Amino acid sequence: MDREALALEMRGLREQVTGITDTAVAAADGLLIAADTADSIDPEGLAALAAAGLGLARRTVGATARGTLRRTVTYGSHGCAAFYAVGDTALMVVIGDEGMDVDGLHRATQPALDRIDTILSAPTEKAAEGV
Amino acid sequence: MAGMRYSLDRVGYDLLAHALHRCGREEFSGQLRVAGAPGGTLHLRAGLVVGAESPGAPGPETLLLRSGRVSGEQWAEVVRESGGERWPATGLITRGHTGAAQLRVVCVMALYDAVFAIVAGRVHGCERVEAEPFATVAVGETCVRLLQDATRRLAALATLPHPLRPDRERPTPVPGVDHGPLSPLQRALLDQADGRSTARDLAFRTGRGVYTVAVEMARMLADGLLECPEAPVPIPVRPPPDGQGVRQRRPEPAASRAAPPPVSAVPPAVPDELPRRRPGASGIAEALAPERNGASWKGFFRLRNGAPK
Repeated sequence: MDREALALEMRGLREQVTGITDTAVAAADGLLIAADTADSIDPEGLAALAAAGLGLARRTVGATARGTLRRTVTYGSHGCAAFYAVGDTALMVVIGDEGMDVDGLHRATQPALDRIDTILSAPTEKAAEGV
Repeated sequence: MAGMRYSLDRVGYDLLAHALHRCGREEFSGQLRVAGAPGGTLHLRAGLVVGAESPGAPGPETLLLRSGRVSGEQWAEVVRESGGERWPATGLITRGHTGAAQLRVVCVMALYDAVFAIVAGRVHGCERVEAEPFATVAVGETCVRLLQDATRRLAALATLPHPLRPDRERPTPVPGVDHGPLSPLQRALLDQADGRSTARDLAFRTGRGVYTVAVEMARMLADGLLECPEAPVPIPVRPPPDGQGVRQRRPEPAASRAAPPPVSAVPPAVPDELPRRRPGASGIAEALAPERNGASWKGFFRLRNGAPK
């Protein structure tokens, strides 16, 4: 797994879409892989919440015959949190403020998700560090 | 940084100015969607701009909520009472959350700020949409006046010793500086600047206009309270422990899958009457049976009322 490429993808997405404040990538079971989050956010807890949220959403989509799950978006009065599945085995969290164009986010996220999936599937070369 | 000069996106500005002037001349009513970064939407009625939204500047709702003038619960209540209105101005005033004049000022400020954010960024194109305009100000502003104000603000920002683009630089506080007395906005910006947030991000977080925050941050850069780090804040990456990357889930082997229950061709027999419950069928009586050491209902009452001393 190319750690630098993953960090670049995450930083690139935050800089590309106005209003993104934080991003995180985790394994599908909620184990955190990378976090570009503010100090006020616990990234491990966020990754676990995202795994649970996506699991619940996937079951809801199945139970209501709504096809394939695309994403989960939770809205609050100060912005929103979007959870995306990355392939079968990982997930990505994007948090944005009130100004974030959510439709624009979904458009920008799709190619990034494919690239992140490819990065995550490759074997790791070195030990983990901040990039 | 000091040598950097803020330049207007001239081509984009001309596109926007041309589209807006045409809207004014033709007394257009509807929306003018501005594609770009951050871009936005201008709402027009009879050629006057009655509202503007941009991801680059906080709108009136954000200004009210983030500044703490209105809480999230109060906002939800007012929206509910107004029948789900997008901009429940009347409810905000009648509920006493804000005065009519104050609300008008907030809306006009947000309108100018949104146009500033659109002009300060990049404009790729403009498209008119025949849709109901979302008006936040009763008396609209002329397109000429809005554009003049935006370019004036941009020029004012560019003349500062440390100009800063609202959506680009991500400053951090300079450690160990005796900053003396600070204004509430300066203190908030020092607290929130983390090397990851632009002036636009901090404007949303503090509930202030993006122009106000950009000017204040530019001054703080000049005063040595803030600095722009050379490298971005590192992103910690922790690959999965087995070093093999996140592997694709393999399909389960056919043998381990549970065989589907056989479908019977014979329909199940329909009972003549509803099943009757037999006493003791659930086994709960055995599960709750008193222990053999003599504990009984007496023991229960002793526990409930306290054992005699």
